[in-house]
Amino acid sequence: MEVIRLDNVSLLRRTQEEFSYDLKKTILSIFEGKYHQPVQKLVLDEINLVVNSGEKLGIIGANGSGKSTLLKVICGILQPTSGVVRVRGHIAPLIELGAGFDSDISVIDNILLYGVLLGYSRKEMQERTRSILEFAELENYALVPLKGLSSGMVARLGFAIATDVQPDILILDEVLSVGDEKFKNKCKQRIDNFWDGNSTVLVVSHDLNFLVKYCNRLVWLDKGRVNFMGNAEEAVKNYLHKLTIQE
Amino acid sequence: MIISFKDNSTWLQVSRYWELLRVLVARNLKVRYRGSFLGVYWSLFNPLIMTGLYTAIFGATFASYYGNSILNYVLAAFTGLVVINFFSASTSQALTSVVGNGSLLNKISLPVSVFPVSMIGANIFQFSVGTLPLLALMTLIYSKNLINVLALIFPFLALVLVCTGIGFLVSALYVFFRDLPYFYELVVFVIWLSSPIFYPAAIVPPQVRQFLRLNPLSPIIESLRQISLSGSSPNLGLIWGSLLSGIIILVLGWTCFHLWRHQFMDLL
Repeated sequence: MEVIRLDNVSLLRRTQEEFSYDLKKTILSIFEGKYHQPVQKLVLDEINLVVNSGEKLGIIGANGSGKSTLLKVICGILQPTSGVVRVRGHIAPLIELGAGFDSDISVIDNILLYGVLLGYSRKEMQERTRSILEFAELENYALVPLKGLSSGMVARLGFAIATDVQPDILILDEVLSVGDEKFKNKCKQRIDNFWDGNSTVLVVSHDLNFLVKYCNRLVWLDKGRVNFMGNAEEAVKNYLHKLTIQE
Repeated sequence: MIISFKDNSTWLQVSRYWELLRVLVARNLKVRYRGSFLGVYWSLFNPLIMTGLYTAIFGATFASYYGNSILNYVLAAFTGLVVINFFSASTSQALTSVVGNGSLLNKISLPVSVFPVSMIGANIFQFSVGTLPLLALMTLIYSKNLINVLALIFPFLALVLVCTGIGFLVSALYVFFRDLPYFYELVVFVIWLSSPIFYPAAIVPPQVRQFLRLNPLSPIIESLRQISLSGSSPNLGLIWGSLLSGIIILVLGWTCFHLWRHQFMDLL
């Protein structure tokens, strides 16, 4: 069963440097007749992609080739300029954990807030608070405002909330592990469980050995286009070959 | 175009929106009143102190327009201040709400409009526990009629509609123009001075007065004063006038927000 399908997805984005964020300047430039439409850049170019349920898909490519942008389009954060994105199931984006935290409110309130932002219901999150605190080893800090925690603890909390339920689709931007050595092992174990389970996994990484070992299929993005899609070893071979030619 | 099969039903989307709104409003309130002893009642301080100040300065001069009663002036100033305070606080907080949550919008897929709405929501809560009971008590004493107390909901609803509309508009504009707060401060000041809050509308020359009618808050203040201070039963014409201005502003604000929304992500 296919869970993700992208048909001819293209994305144009405005380059931010070009843009004046200034009302005064913009009005002046209109009066002087210097105003021009902002320049747009093609970030994703006619991407076609089908991911089946349970598949582990890796995405490789140089910096700025559109890997993270592709994940954002799949998550629904960015709307494609043309083309259709279809997603079936609940997506857990593990992109920069704890982006929704508020440092002024307590750990428990943050669990509720971040969970709801990720798409779970308040009731669900209230039931899960205990297991999340337990996994993050923060039972004694439940009522402490988040800014009273060390950065490692905050990262642990973010990971614990985002991975408390097994998602249908897991999205990883660089394989992450947070906290001290002991907690890193716990993270790895949990990710491994997802990996062995039914979850569909999309992972962006520069660690080619890891990808060859764990992914069924690789997508190689180059300047917003799919350069190669298929067998992991073959993809990595082609990718490395291209790099040596460039040098 | 994104099609997500799980969230296809409108009901799921509505309940998700509601859940988001609840946690975000709770966050806004908790952050604002963390560690403050009086909590939401601080919000009453500002209009009360301003009322005292205006009364001390203008009370004696303007009393003749209010049936020669300083008390009437006090109450008229208070009702006006309550409205303008709600307006300026909720819309200026809504203004920064989309940009302030920009990094979050880049990490998780969320309905953008929930951020300005949650700011208005926090102010509604604050108003309902702080100022509204006081207004209701005042109305009950003056009109001795429960219908007037219940009718207070209409000018308040109109106020919420106006603020939500303006909140949508300014939060969207702020994405494009980051120097907007300076301009908006000026706009709020113009609206403040052009609503008959601390002066009687009668002192304004007739040629100028017709321009003051353009102020969306004027019909709301007028309706609120009629219900709470006049002692007669609620005037439906005034209520409709205020609701109409609310609906027009909301539709306008929402349309702009909706049209510009797809450009937000490139600039956040």
